[in-house]
Amino acid sequence: MATIELQELTRRFGDVVALDSLELEVASGEFVSLLGPSGCGKTTALRIVAGFEWPDSGRVLVAGRDVLDLPANRRNMGMVFQAYSLFPNMTAQQNVEFGLRVRRRPKHDRSKRAAELLDLVGLAAQKDRYPRQLSGGQQQRVALARCLAIEPSVLLLDEPLSALDAKVRVQLREEVRRIQLELGITTLYVTHDQEEALSVSDRVAVMSSGRIEQIGSPAEIYGHPRTPFVASFVGTMNHLEATVVSSAAGKVRCGPAVLDVGLSAASHSDGDVVTMYVRPEHVHVVALAPGQDMPPELFEGKVTSLTFLGPVTRVGIASALGGLLADVSSSMALSLAIDSTVGVSIEAGSLRSLALT
Amino acid sequence: MTTPAVLADGLPGDVGRKRAAISRRGQARRGGRTRFPLWSWFWIGFAALYFLVPVFSLVQFSFGGTLANGRSAGFHWFLAVFDDPAFRSSFWLSAQIAFETVALSLLLMVPTVFWVHLRLPRLKPVMDFVSVLPFVVPPIVLVVGLEPFLQNFTWLYSRPEVLPFIYVVFALPFLYRSIDAGLRAIDLRTLSEAASNLGASTFGALARVVLPNLRSAVIGGSLLTFAIAMGEYTIASLLLFNTFPVYIFYIGQGPAAHEATALSVISLLLTWIAMAALFVIGRGGRETAQLGVTK
Amino acid sequence: MAAVGTIEPAAGEPSVGPPSVGPPSEGSPSGSALQWRRGARTWLRWIGVVPFFGYLAIFLLIPTGELVVDAFKGPTGHFTGANVSAAVHAPYLSSFETSLELSALSALFGGILGVFVATAVLHRGVPAALRPVVFTFSGMASNFAGVPLAFAFSATIGTGGVLTGLFQHLGVDLTTLVPLTSGVIGLSLVYTYFQFPLMILLVIPAIDGLKREWREASTNLGASTISYWRYVGLPIILPSLLGMMLLLFGSAFSAYATAYALSGSTGNLVPEVIGNLLNGNITVDPQLAYALAFGMIVIITVVLVCYSLLQRRASRWLR
Ligand SMILES: Nc1ncnc2c1ncn2[C@@H]1O[C@H](COP(=O)(O)OP(=O)(O)OP(=O)(O)O)[C@@H](O)[C@H]1O
Ligand SMILES: [Mg+2]
Repeated sequence: MATIELQELTRRFGDVVALDSLELEVASGEFVSLLGPSGCGKTTALRIVAGFEWPDSGRVLVAGRDVLDLPANRRNMGMVFQAYSLFPNMTAQQNVEFGLRVRRRPKHDRSKRAAELLDLVGLAAQKDRYPRQLSGGQQQRVALARCLAIEPSVLLLDEPLSALDAKVRVQLREEVRRIQLELGITTLYVTHDQEEALSVSDRVAVMSSGRIEQIGSPAEIYGHPRTPFVASFVGTMNHLEATVVSSAAGKVRCGPAVLDVGLSAASHSDGDVVTMYVRPEHVHVVALAPGQDMPPELFEGKVTSLTFLGPVTRVGIASALGGLLADVSSSMALSLAIDSTVGVSIEAGSLRSLALT
Repeated sequence: MTTPAVLADGLPGDVGRKRAAISRRGQARRGGRTRFPLWSWFWIGFAALYFLVPVFSLVQFSFGGTLANGRSAGFHWFLAVFDDPAFRSSFWLSAQIAFETVALSLLLMVPTVFWVHLRLPRLKPVMDFVSVLPFVVPPIVLVVGLEPFLQNFTWLYSRPEVLPFIYVVFALPFLYRSIDAGLRAIDLRTLSEAASNLGASTFGALARVVLPNLRSAVIGGSLLTFAIAMGEYTIASLLLFNTFPVYIFYIGQGPAAHEATALSVISLLLTWIAMAALFVIGRGGRETAQLGVTK
Repeated sequence: MAAVGTIEPAAGEPSVGPPSVGPPSEGSPSGSALQWRRGARTWLRWIGVVPFFGYLAIFLLIPTGELVVDAFKGPTGHFTGANVSAAVHAPYLSSFETSLELSALSALFGGILGVFVATAVLHRGVPAALRPVVFTFSGMASNFAGVPLAFAFSATIGTGGVLTGLFQHLGVDLTTLVPLTSGVIGLSLVYTYFQFPLMILLVIPAIDGLKREWREASTNLGASTISYWRYVGLPIILPSLLGMMLLLFGSAFSAYATAYALSGSTGNLVPEVIGNLLNGNITVDPQLAYALAFGMIVIITVVLVCYSLLQRRASRWLR
């Protein structure tokens, strides 16, 4: 399988800079997601790789070879579009066979391969249906089978699940991942759904304004965001204004409290004002019995909002540290009421600042 | 199938797509990416020539020839034509007929298309089909068939006012298509339901909400109708009315070929002014509004 | 049209919220009254289209029906097949042949040229600003027909025409190559003048209906432009294209003014022959004219039936 390298890709549309010196490397057999807000250039990057768009400057190497000179129909890449890309005048089987047909492969080879692939995506029984007789999810499976039929060097997917409803989306993304692992095909996957990106990728590249902000494993991206953008784009984050008290000891002052943040404040000098980040699941809330005194290790907070999210409930808290969000189990949240006073603590080691660039 | 809110990459069509890509390293355009659409331009150029050459020849002819005194004609043929009282009478007759046709077609079509959109949407396929009929129904057949029927109404039959009644049939496709396109663009049902929700009657809703939105479609359709009625020859000539096209034909049969081309230029200009007006009005189903053939 | 069919809550029904069009609830006490009113409304709905269809009946259907009957009547009113039989034998049979030939040729020329120009205009490499310009010019050209068009072509490729003069220098005599007053080649070029712009206007929505994803998916799978059109593009829009070309065929078949202005009373197209039989350019024979017109109706009917079949077929892939 092939590697993909994007080198200093820049693309402007008039005044809009869609790609700004984009750099990305995808290893052979790797599944990399491009994640980012709308308009950040994900589609543009993917279309440049596929050959439907051209950069103003930069290079695209696939398996070490510059492909920008190749027309799109000679790049041998499989692309799955958002929706409606199946040929309406062909059955599922004929759609899957199409790439082999234009390669003039013998009829029985084609149908054998198409049958295998339809089997792989679980649609063997629907092979004679026309696209309009298939559900949205089934259509996308056929589209996947269709581009796998040509044994592409890489697989490109542009928000292939965004037109589907939530349940099918989850099911199908797992299936895409299963097939990808089974075939070991290098995959570039574009999405603006972070849960999707985090759940199926080997690595996630978070994009913003035409550049990659951070690239890393899902756990890294979620657990160790390196830029404020990544921190606030991926998942939910609490922001706390703090002053460095002792960079050597890794202590900051936040409101009345002095917090131990370990090593990540070491790059600052004493007296610097920094923003500290902490995820809601690392903020713990304790309901106080009436008349109970505040334990010394807890800060006092007041519940301002309760949002039920299923297994957890997100609690909004006003505290001396500032506004905080905390995720508590929904059963525990039953004992909380708006305006009640609660004890708040922050898990040790979970509070971090971002290295400023 | 559900409709996704955003298309593949959320961009409308190919508008503004710029393919010219100049490499940072100053390379020439790379293979495959910026090929000049040679064939596209060839066909566009060919069509432009096909369109322009006869017009150019016609115009040249209308200014051509030499006069008895040896001078070149210039505007002579045009002036000669303007001086002919028969020109003026036939021109005004045609203009009058065209106005009547527009009025009559609007009266018939606007309420009908509204009605179909609001109350009888399932009749739309029928209307679509009916609206192509006049494309293919031979005017000559229509006259032949209508004559015996019209003879029952001598007071009408002998007057040119009979023409608009027939022309309405031929104006139908154009008016129908432009109003239909206009209505499709503004989701009539939701608008009128919203308006009646707010307490307006259906009629009030039409008058205040929908009609203003539809103005350009109606004007466009009317201009086309006007142009078609102004240029219709077959029916007028067979029913023996001396309309403008009949007059042009008559002049063309005689020795005055230059005058005939001058008249043709005038007639052409009229159609084009109508079309240019359509272009300026724009919007309102431009694509379908311009379908037109006079036979 | 305001009061009739206005949707309002039925009397006796508590009017809560916005008036609704939905069916009356099952156990509603005023259910039967509502039922009646709804029935009446359904019936009243059709009143709105009566003027339109009535008008069409008078000015389209009755004349056609009258013609069909008259085609089978002799001069004294008795029924006879003689007219129709004369119409489909020499010399009139050749008129039908010429007319069909001309219509087919001009529909083919106009249809193909129109499709090429429309695809060219919609091409990605061609500035989008050109589209409205082409629409407008197509609108102009498709309406430029009849007597002025005939004169324009006389001034172009007729005797003493501008192109005729040019080609004479090259040793080509246009007046014998594409004669305007005899044969169908010259005339079909004239008809193409209004046919191809008409085709552009008709076909652009159909070509626009081809989704960009189809094109890109086929390219991505390795197809060339030709393979794309062969396997995807054409199969999808072919029924619409054929339907539109049938419309062109019909419109050429029924055209009269342009041809008559060029060839005068010597023309041999069916409409021209009918015209001559009516206005006595050669002989007056209304019965024969009716029979010829009947022949035209038959052909047009066939065209329309095929057209609607193709339309149904076309909507299969393009919603
Ligand atoms: N053909 C084009 N013409 C003009 N501007 C374009 C074109 N294609 C993309 N852009 C602009 O480039 C930027 C990046 O677009 P792109 O489609 O790559 O975004 P995206 O990350 O895929 O967004 P989304 O999540 O909405 O699909 C946008 O600001 C867009 O407006
Ligand atoms: Mg996108």
